[in-house]
Amino acid sequence: MSDKKVMLDVKNLKLYFRTQSGPVQAVDDVSFQLKAGHTLAVVGESGCGKTSLAKAVLRLLPRNIMTYSGSIVFDGVDIMKYDDERFRREIRWSNIASVPQASMNSLNPVVRIEDQLIEPLLIHEKISRQQARTRVAEVFEIVGLPVDFLQRYPFELSGGMRQRAIIAMALASNPKLVVLDEPSSALDLLSQANLMNVLKKIKQEINTTFILITHDIGTASELADEIAVMYAGKMVEYASAQYFYTDAHHPYSQKLMASVPTLREDKELEFIPGQPPSLINPPTGCRFAARCEKKFEKCSMQPNTTHLGNGATVQCWLFDETGEVKHA
Amino acid sequence: MPSLAKTLPQGQNQKAVLRIEDLHTWFEIRRMGFFKAGDVRALDGASFELYEGETISIVGESGCGKSTLAKTILGINHITKGSIFFEGKDLSTLDKEGWKKYRSSIGYIQQDPYGALPPFMSVQRILEEPMKINGIKDKAEQRRRIRQVLEEVKLAPIEDFLPKFPHMLSGGQQQRLVIARAMILEPRMLIADEPVSMLDASVRVEILQLLQALQRRHNLAILYITHDLSTVRYFSERIFAMYGGKIIEKSSTTGLLEKPLHPYTAALFEATSDPDAANLTSFKDVPAGEPPSLMNPPKGCRFHPRCRKIIKGLCDQEMPPEFWVREDHAAACWLYKDQV
Repeated sequence: MSDKKVMLDVKNLKLYFRTQSGPVQAVDDVSFQLKAGHTLAVVGESGCGKTSLAKAVLRLLPRNIMTYSGSIVFDGVDIMKYDDERFRREIRWSNIASVPQASMNSLNPVVRIEDQLIEPLLIHEKISRQQARTRVAEVFEIVGLPVDFLQRYPFELSGGMRQRAIIAMALASNPKLVVLDEPSSALDLLSQANLMNVLKKIKQEINTTFILITHDIGTASELADEIAVMYAGKMVEYASAQYFYTDAHHPYSQKLMASVPTLREDKELEFIPGQPPSLINPPTGCRFAARCEKKFEKCSMQPNTTHLGNGATVQCWLFDETGEVKHA
Repeated sequence: MPSLAKTLPQGQNQKAVLRIEDLHTWFEIRRMGFFKAGDVRALDGASFELYEGETISIVGESGCGKSTLAKTILGINHITKGSIFFEGKDLSTLDKEGWKKYRSSIGYIQQDPYGALPPFMSVQRILEEPMKINGIKDKAEQRRRIRQVLEEVKLAPIEDFLPKFPHMLSGGQQQRLVIARAMILEPRMLIADEPVSMLDASVRVEILQLLQALQRRHNLAILYITHDLSTVRYFSERIFAMYGGKIIEKSSTTGLLEKPLHPYTAALFEATSDPDAANLTSFKDVPAGEPPSLMNPPKGCRFHPRCRKIIKGLCDQEMPPEFWVREDHAAACWLYKDQV
């Protein structure tokens, strides 16, 4: 595991939006590493900053940006130093592709699938139409769609097929990293399972690195090598999926896991009372403290990131520098 | 929280609140607004009974007819064929007043709470509205009921919530308000159409537990419509699976979770991911393809074009009837024709 190179190294990433009532700290001091060929699933509830994190990595920012800082080292290069034009030319789509939320509904209804799919290739790769067509036909096969569907219009495809077409579009330029924002949540159960099979196959065969953003912890386990839990703009836990599902550390992660209904085992379900804090003027200490059963005096200060071994980190005062449990 | 897995109620000593017989809801499709082009057979023959204090979950993918079933029961869709009996009374015999009374005895919980609440009404007005329409004019009684339902859905302190507008509430609070509105006329039955699918995981359980508490207190019958198999185990006595406008499997929750009979239900089961790191290495064995068009449904079993266990010459020719394999478990599938 450790011999693989690091594809994405994010340090102290901050993304604040300016609003009338004050700055919204959507992504606040997030750091993580992602190895090539691995998939990181970012999970959390709505409004926790997971989509903002994806947007910050892709630098797809709205106008009301207040702070956008930190470092993003992608494939050995600090891409935060690039200006917008260079970022657009060299990084976005050609190296980091994205499948935004609900993008299957953003296909142009009056343009054939093929013409839409070759467009980014023509813009970013300066290749001929014919080459682009061949390339698109290749990725279409990878995602498991019949090649003659390229000649169809979006409305002639089902939801699951449109989503796969969008994923084909993201893969066409051979990106090193693909950011998938809720790729399957708008799909039916069986299409969802089929899509996960396709993504798994891509992961195994082409060895693409993925960031999967989802609120569905069950679905995340289909693809994730690492899990990052976000809460109120902070990445409160980062762990290998292998350990996370059985042994989550942060009290929020534990509660979140306990609230997920399971089909195959009968467990006691719990819910988390209260609501996440507003990201405008969030509490100064641990942002989960108000809902946490294990809180103590120290929780009124922002916890440090503790390394627990196996690359796992947690932001919680229950763990000291050596990863030992301090307060049970 | 106690274990919520339940068993089948005893049919003999429990009263059926709702009885549905061979219910069909077809929507006519017209070409150029004039020529009839055909029918969409959204619901094509459903029969069952729903008992007091019982929850039936209806699972299936979009377009399988589960919401059509709910809306037909609510009287929003017209019945094409078949009949609905509510507490023994045939709905087709009801006059206008009778319908009004019937509608007031079913509560409807919509999927998207924000879409279901009028944005320009305060919580108080939202809760008063059904009472005004149904002739509860006494102010003291109105206040008593509002207080009671808000307490029951745990929107406290009540005085803080009454003047608020829906956009000032969180998703979970909005859904609780929708439930409060459904409860204000003291219904006998609730129809919950995907009540938690728009909510976050940590809130889902809270809403489901709330519905369950209401059910126990008022002995409510609940029809719970969902696409998410993993929540039904905690919430219902019986599960019906629908596909292509038909109920293809009926079972007690325990029986279905033990072993789904119909190949489609088995596929739904397989497709549901539990949080487990082992999922990373295994592929799911789910059928490809899409649900059939309901305008021209395939001959025979509607699942046969996608089914791997197809019996050629039978499944593609004849519609399978319900085979009761066990006392509490039936599947509309030819595989079980010899097991009855």
